Amino acid sequence: MSSPVRAARLAVRQTLMEQRNFWRSPEYALFTFALPLFLLLLLGAANGGSYLPGHIRQIKVLVPSILAFGVIAAAYANLGAKMAVLRHDGVLKRIRTTPLPSGAYLTGLVVSTVVTSLAIAGCTALAGWLAFGTAPRLDGVFLLGCGLALGIICFAALGLAVSSVIKSAESASPITNAIYLPIVMISGIFDPTIGLPHWMSATAGALPIKALAGVLEDAYTPARYAFPAADLGVLLAWAVVGGALAVWRFRRQPA
Amino acid sequence: MTSQLAAAAPESDTAPDLAVRVYGLRMSYGKREVLRGIDFEVRRGEVFCLLGPNGAGKTTTVEILEGFRARTGGTVTVLGLDPAAQPTELRERIGIVLQECGFPRQARVGELIDMWLEYYPHPRPLGDLLEVTGLTADRNTSVRKLSGGQRRRLDFALALAGDPDLVFLDEPTTGFDPEARRRLWTAVENLRSLGKTIMLTTHYLDEAEYLADRVAILLDGRIKIVGSTREVAKLAELPAQVSFSLPKALRDGEIPPPDGIELIMRGATATCRTRNTAATLRALLDWAARYHVGDLDDLAVVTPSLEDAYLHHVECTDGDPAR
Repeated sequence: MSSPVRAARLAVRQTLMEQRNFWRSPEYALFTFALPLFLLLLLGAANGGSYLPGHIRQIKVLVPSILAFGVIAAAYANLGAKMAVLRHDGVLKRIRTTPLPSGAYLTGLVVSTVVTSLAIAGCTALAGWLAFGTAPRLDGVFLLGCGLALGIICFAALGLAVSSVIKSAESASPITNAIYLPIVMISGIFDPTIGLPHWMSATAGALPIKALAGVLEDAYTPARYAFPAADLGVLLAWAVVGGALAVWRFRRQPA
Repeated sequence: MTSQLAAAAPESDTAPDLAVRVYGLRMSYGKREVLRGIDFEVRRGEVFCLLGPNGAGKTTTVEILEGFRARTGGTVTVLGLDPAAQPTELRERIGIVLQECGFPRQARVGELIDMWLEYYPHPRPLGDLLEVTGLTADRNTSVRKLSGGQRRRLDFALALAGDPDLVFLDEPTTGFDPEARRRLWTAVENLRSLGKTIMLTTHYLDEAEYLADRVAILLDGRIKIVGSTREVAKLAELPAQVSFSLPKALRDGEIPPPDGIELIMRGATATCRTRNTAATLRALLDWAARYHVGDLDDLAVVTPSLEDAYLHHVECTDGDPAR
């Protein structure tokens, strides 16, 4: 068997194993799915009916924002913490003793994360439609897909990059959370009307969380519709930065 | 010059009976020289043990052989491959049991081994691996529920998944109770009986003595001595110890002690040290016959252990003014 075919097959096997292990701890899987759903129902019930400037119902912004949040939690926070645990437990070291190409292993982990993130996004979007009648514009579906794809890759890469500086399994979750939750807040994910000093909103605008939420919002809200080139650019830039950081860190410290 | 080079690095196919060949291996981390030109060979099918105090360069040497570390100089051939240039090909044919390596937390024994089988071109069947490592009953057990000993056996199962020709064991019994240790020794002997070559590092000299066919003592980045456990013990030129139950007549002073033998009498036992066991035994038995004290009860010869020899070699180097 030629080696690219073999590597691809091994990556698929790794993906299946990761998925099986993910679903094997039901409370972990359940709460990974439940957090964005719960936030959506809570925030949607609280102020989904109010209107934002431009006469947009807030729920139209809240659903894509929570969609972004769910993707970020699954792709960045979960993958980052998972990699840190794998490294700390010595699983990466053990993998290195085998002929498995490390690229195939990492691909398996990332693809499994993509699958989980897409499933969470799908559930959240469905909940937004069922509970609040909020769905993306039909001509925004392509944009939604692009945004999700780029967003998941970007945040998975950032998760891998962050995992390499985490020193212990115990600190994995606190560290990944402490990095992204404040940015989620200043990006207005939970409250789009949040008032911030200029420097803070400028900072949030340069970071990928607000950019992902922005792209997804544009797929939901007709009034704001314009091709979100700037937001996609920010996402792409962070995907490149995250990918480069992750590759650099893994070359230097493979296990 | 040419002939010297040829002697230092013969072609791999000229010595198919060698699993590992190391010539003039040097390794430096920055200015710190960890290996200062070491040579040794490991024959196929033998258990070879690398001994030495902490910091002597054991781990570095093994990591170079496993292809985890690029050497600074010298020639290294493992199973006919250069580990630095062909790490993937090499890893298809070796098994590595590292210390303190975890398993994916949610995995189960059987499926984890199954996954590992995918990584290798010529895997051993799952049932076979479970049986060899005594894990058949734990096939569906979550790795989190395994005891320490079972985890070690799973380490072995994963290392053997690719049916390796050469197995690296890094301090395999550290932290084991005596029974678990014995079981692991049996496992290593089983591996050898399957024709595997085993490269062992350990801090326990009784373990090396029990398991190893040949040992090398690494000291301060150099091979101090290499040979069979017997040879290494012999090269230390330590005396053997002969002991027997003290005959009553000798204790009561009725007969003289044997000539030319320095007997140490302690309690009911007499011992002496000798570098010529046969001559000493002959003299003792002649003496016993002459004075009619019969066969010497509990007559025993204790040859110097690997541990005695090791300590001797290490201490000699400590006092070496050339250092």
